[in-house]
Amino acid sequence: MSRPVNPRAMAPARAGRTRTAAPSVPDRFWSAPRMRRYLLFDATGITYLLVGLSILRVVWALGSGPEAWQTVLRQFRSPAYLAFHALVLLSVVYVGVRFFGLFPKAQPPKIGPASPPPGPVLTAMLYAAWAGATLVLVLVLGGVLP
Amino acid sequence: MSDVQKKKFVVTRFDPDKDEVPKTQEYTIPVRPDWKVLDALNYIKDEVDGTISHRWSCRMAVCGSCGMLVNGEPKLTCSTPLDEYGDEVHVAPLSNFPVIRDLVVDLEGFLDKFKSVKPWIVRAKEKAVEEGPCRQTPEELHAFKQFSMCINCMLCYAACPVVANVPEFLGPAAIALGHRYNLDSRDEGAAERNEVFRGEGTVYECSYANECSEVCPKNVDPAAAINQAKLLAVLDWMKSFVTPRRGGE
Ligand code: FES
Repeated sequence: MSRPVNPRAMAPARAGRTRTAAPSVPDRFWSAPRMRRYLLFDATGITYLLVGLSILRVVWALGSGPEAWQTVLRQFRSPAYLAFHALVLLSVVYVGVRFFGLFPKAQPPKIGPASPPPGPVLTAMLYAAWAGATLVLVLVLGGVLP
Repeated sequence: MSDVQKKKFVVTRFDPDKDEVPKTQEYTIPVRPDWKVLDALNYIKDEVDGTISHRWSCRMAVCGSCGMLVNGEPKLTCSTPLDEYGDEVHVAPLSNFPVIRDLVVDLEGFLDKFKSVKPWIVRAKEKAVEEGPCRQTPEELHAFKQFSMCINCMLCYAACPVVANVPEFLGPAAIALGHRYNLDSRDEGAAERNEVFRGEGTVYECSYANECSEVCPKNVDPAAAINQAKLLAVLDWMKSFVTPRRGGE
């Protein structure tokens, strides 16, 4: 029926005279579509943790000589690793799109004397910056830029 | 009368004098197509079981007292059409709140948080009556008007995953209301409120789940308020290094 949350959630500073039932949430609180979208966003953190660990491994291989480095490169070409990176790319795109959607309304109407640009303009600027950064990265990786 | 539609209501009950934990009770009642969920609860209370406790007052989504979980979703029951649901409707008290009885939750914890953000106009020196009213331009009103539409219905607290886990968190409505006064051109209490925002239950606990805004029946968008407050509280903290505070702090 329901599952407990932190027992002090929304508790008054001084307990009242009436005994109360502990705060709870419905058992299937996660089944609402909006909650699923949020939990998916939260879950992307796991992929970033794994990326962080794999970067540490690359750094370790760099310091351990050419053989270790070649092993890492070979593993990077394996289907499992490529699938993992496709998943990471999906995670980044999902978080980016979510963030770009929520970012404009997090801007106060005024910051000092200045007003931020209208929401759609801000969103367009974010996507433009994203596209620009991706383009630069592709050009660098493709050897077009130094 | 054979074509009268019937629905089963599974209502959460809790009697603090008898029950260890809440339980559910079922009522099957005739319903009308134009009814809201609250109409069904009132029918049960008036015609079937007078012991059931629930809050309501205005029946027009203004007073904010009829917030409950309907099929697990935080809703204002007076404005939620019954025909949106099937033959079985579950009604429970709002999530994340201690329950006083049946569908009635304890709001004292919210009121503590609410008071702490000073939800009123703070002035260093009150304006004398002869000086006339504090005037505002339409733009100045527009800056905060959306956040002043909150009816304290608590649906946002019931939806917020942070409220469930971090008892100190001030929560959506309290921060939205505090932020509303920070944006008010007549107010001079932003520094005091920002200190509260940066203190225990800080606005930075918010993980921008946006759940509060999705369930808000008045389109207040508390998630926007909280995240605007985060930025302004940081800027205010940085400003405090170069500008002395009132009272020589
Ligand atoms: S009864 Fe007033 S908001 Fe529902």
